[in-house]
Amino acid sequence: MTKTNFDDALKQQLDTLPEEKHPERDLWRGVALALENEADTSTAKPGWRSGWAAMAASVALIAMVSWYSLQQPSGPTEPSAITGEALVQALSQQHEQQKQALLVEYTDTPALADNWQQQLDELDDAAAAIKAALAEDPDNPALLRMLQNVYQQQITLIERVHAPKWQRI
Amino acid sequence: MEQSSCTVVDAQETFSRAREQTLIESVKGGDTLAYHELYDAHVKRVYALCYRLTGDKALAEDATQEVFIQLWRKISNFTGQSRFSTWLHSVAANVTVSYMRKQRGWFQRMFSIDESEAQYHAAPADAHSIDLEALIVRLPERARMVFVLHAIEGYRHEDIASMLGMAVGSSKAQFHRARQLLKAWMGYDED
Repeated sequence: MTKTNFDDALKQQLDTLPEEKHPERDLWRGVALALENEADTSTAKPGWRSGWAAMAASVALIAMVSWYSLQQPSGPTEPSAITGEALVQALSQQHEQQKQALLVEYTDTPALADNWQQQLDELDDAAAAIKAALAEDPDNPALLRMLQNVYQQQITLIERVHAPKWQRI
Repeated sequence: MEQSSCTVVDAQETFSRAREQTLIESVKGGDTLAYHELYDAHVKRVYALCYRLTGDKALAEDATQEVFIQLWRKISNFTGQSRFSTWLHSVAANVTVSYMRKQRGWFQRMFSIDESEAQYHAAPADAHSIDLEALIVRLPERARMVFVLHAIEGYRHEDIASMLGMAVGSSKAQFHRARQLLKAWMGYDED
């Protein structure tokens, strides 16, 4: 076999080399722990805490933007079976039940982030601020959507810190 | 019909890039959940590079973790002037080389009598059943690193020499050595 054959064969082999390879063990947990330690030892670097604080702040910001945009008389509001304070109450009650059920489910499951409850509290604060605004304007659809969004973020937070993807495989 | 499928592919690629950009910005802001998603998207490619450079699964796994720990610190340096995957590959190659230096002593690894006895073993008999990746992993360390960086990753010998702390001529010589070994293992005659 000639040199040319080898060059061609090598090129062909290189072209078909897979771009990806699956590691045999989960590597994320070690990375996550290192990042968590880094966040604990460094106050300058944004980490878990400020990440979630930023999310809560952005929720409040979006709420404000939605608030102002919906103050414009653009059209009729969506009809709903229940409205106003009753709707807020139903939404909150349903969410609280779902949240408590999840917390019970994950009682014995170690959380990936040790400050997740603080993050949960921050989202609670955001929900309380939106509910206070709703008390003034109970039928505002943008505020209702934002409340729903914050509640959904709490559920996602609880699920993700207790059952991250690498554990679901 | 074909044109419309291309449009869908283009749209998907645009969407993926936009999604990736959003993730990168979130990570720059300290969002570790976004970082997990970014990790999931790239870990297999990074691991493939680490495995080929180190030639060892356990070392490659450790190096991959080190890459993603370093990436968390370095991601603010990503300006978006190149594709993220290209930039990440460059970070991964440098971090892995640096990581290998720390393991078992760079001096010992680079200057000991050239290590692997695998090069003296019999070559695969059938050219059609060649597993190039397995052969690359069998290469002596310096030859393997130069071959991976030059032939697979596309680095110039000047850059490789700088990364590995060797002369440009040495990089070329190691590449030639790797080729000769692969040639023999793949069952081709000597020149």
